[in-house]
Amino acid sequence: MRYVVLAGLLAAGAAAAQEPQAAAAATPPAPGDAARKAEEHRRLEEQIAKELGVSPAPAASPGAPPGPALAPPPAPPPASAAPLGGNPFARVLMLPDVSAIGSGALVWNQKDVQVVSPRSDPYGPGGKVQPVFQELEVALQSVVDPYARADVFLTFHPDGAGVEEAYLTTLGLPAGLQIRAGTLKSPFGRMNQQHPHVWDFVGTPLPMARLLAVDALEGPGVDVAWLAPVPWFLELHLAYQDTVPGFETVGRRTGVAHLLQYFDVAEGTTLGVGLSAARLDEPGAGAWRDLYGADLFLKIRPPQGRAYLTLQGELFARRLSGLADAGQDGTRLGGYLQALWRQNAYWGYGVRWEGAPAAGPGLSGAENRWTALATWYPSEFQRLRLQVSDDRLPGGSTGWEALLAMEFIIGAHGAHPF
Amino acid sequence: MHPLPRLASLLLALVPAAAGASLKVVTTTDGLAALARDVGGDRVAVTALSHGNQDPHFVDPNPNLAVKLRDADLLVDVGLDLEIGWLPPLVNQSRNAAIQPGNERRFTAASAVRVLDVPTGPVDRSLGDLHPAGNPHFLNDPRRAVEVAQALAAKLASLDPAGAAGYRARAADFARRIGAAEQRWLATLAPFRGQAIIAKHPTVTYLARWAGLRIVGYLEPKPGVEPPPSHLAEMVEVARAQKVRAILVETYYDTRTAALVARLSGARVCSLPGDVGASRTASGYEAYMDEVVKALAGALAP
Repeated sequence: MRYVVLAGLLAAGAAAAQEPQAAAAATPPAPGDAARKAEEHRRLEEQIAKELGVSPAPAASPGAPPGPALAPPPAPPPASAAPLGGNPFARVLMLPDVSAIGSGALVWNQKDVQVVSPRSDPYGPGGKVQPVFQELEVALQSVVDPYARADVFLTFHPDGAGVEEAYLTTLGLPAGLQIRAGTLKSPFGRMNQQHPHVWDFVGTPLPMARLLAVDALEGPGVDVAWLAPVPWFLELHLAYQDTVPGFETVGRRTGVAHLLQYFDVAEGTTLGVGLSAARLDEPGAGAWRDLYGADLFLKIRPPQGRAYLTLQGELFARRLSGLADAGQDGTRLGGYLQALWRQNAYWGYGVRWEGAPAAGPGLSGAENRWTALATWYPSEFQRLRLQVSDDRLPGGSTGWEALLAMEFIIGAHGAHPF
Repeated sequence: MHPLPRLASLLLALVPAAAGASLKVVTTTDGLAALARDVGGDRVAVTALSHGNQDPHFVDPNPNLAVKLRDADLLVDVGLDLEIGWLPPLVNQSRNAAIQPGNERRFTAASAVRVLDVPTGPVDRSLGDLHPAGNPHFLNDPRRAVEVAQALAAKLASLDPAGAAGYRARAADFARRIGAAEQRWLATLAPFRGQAIIAKHPTVTYLARWAGLRIVGYLEPKPGVEPPPSHLAEMVEVARAQKVRAILVETYYDTRTAALVARLSGARVCSLPGDVGASRTASGYEAYMDEVVKALAGALAP
């Protein structure tokens, strides 16, 4: 199947292609000869497709080039030569890396999610297949000067436009310190700090929306990270920010701490474990909100090849204290656990469980969601995901969900941390 | 003393220390590590971030590699965006400003060699996953390896002036040894000059040019793009028409398509070590090239 689509892409790309190098040596064939060769080519292609267990391409590009338009090496300039009039590309050289990432989906929900299971998108009205535009992210990334770099992520989504993150990062502070300042995602757990296009699954797990924040715990502030002088990766973050927790509208002064460690357990096996805590001011004297998190990430990838297996999970706890309405005080728990198997460069499969306090009207108790995922990566720069979930609300009522999500990236986008 | 620093220093003492070495050199690949060891001798302690059996385009940015970079006195990378998918976040995490691109403790090997396959026209990803600055797989040309070694020696000399004479002498010795080996390698490959080959990916451009082999096609229709059967059929036809004897594939690639095209066209799959360290015996640069030449000669023989 993937060859069929790939061949279509190739055929589209072949318009700009040049003659393959291999054909250059051939002499023009006679017409009868050409027909015989075409027949022979067709038979060969069918045999190859059969042996590989794929369908032959319907619209094969006869002239798919063996490589791009490549030039012979430039002659080294004479030692005395200096370009006349300086470098005409000086402005271009000064530009930051610019990239855009677009995502959208076709979604179908059995229930009216907005009412019975409030959460972050994407979801649609109950019972209808709904096309949704998720997000367009535009990134501008560059060093500022020899001492710092800046990363700016602008986001355009159905509710408008905004700044997803924009922060300065120091590059060479002493004593293992690194400071980020600007508006940024809080260093709380693993997924909260990642942008949606880094997530394996579409959308955040329910407990993040219910216990932290609908999109992410984020806001203006400063994050000081210390890399401990030990021979493995041990980083401690302390952040002070203004954030807006889930289903609230007013920002709160927030202190966050995150301790993150990575261990090379065996060749090709890396384990990351983290602990997070945050305290947020609540309106009213002596009232506050505590958040706790534990995160785990295990990646097993034999060095040779592209296949890997990841296991990722997080636990979250939220405790409200000293509220005017004492009935709201107390602790809520949630978590998720997911596994992704990347079979090769082109295919990946995953399963996820999420558990969180139900948030629909009149619902109390735990909501559990099970999800299966299949991802096709036509290249490094796009992916198509089919995701099916079963959302089990307290009281035994269930809701099926399905979505087909596409995502693309253009331009030079900085590589992501592990 | 607080318990934490004491624990830290205890653990640091457990790290295999490079006794007496003046410079901690971290390289992105095993090939560069081999050159750094050849040139640096016992004045340098060399660590590679990836290994010869890995595809250098797709290394994981494991944060433990950032810890190695934190302590690096010199970072040696290939450049030309070969490591673009994993090195920049590690360098940013390392807190080591001196190894940022263009800074004094960063040596980019590509800066020392003439680069092939530099695109001349507009470049976009319809051309596949292309290196827009040129082909970074240049260390399988021994002449370019010598150029990199000499430039690396100059860099080490500038960072460690006390060892300058030693670095230069070792680089000259490396050039002599490789020069002599090159005569041997080229003599082995001489009977095959002008022969046509097919490769999986443009990783063998420099090697083929050095050895006098003609690349008449690639299994990938464009760099990084999976071949459809139509393209493989075309490669079978090209292989038959051009009497291709060898289909070159690095050991970190899947060989299924290569084996199929080889079988249908009567060619052989030539499994090449991708870099120094790809096999247990390819432990240094000379041993690696010995294996490359042996594999080529074995596959190209009638």
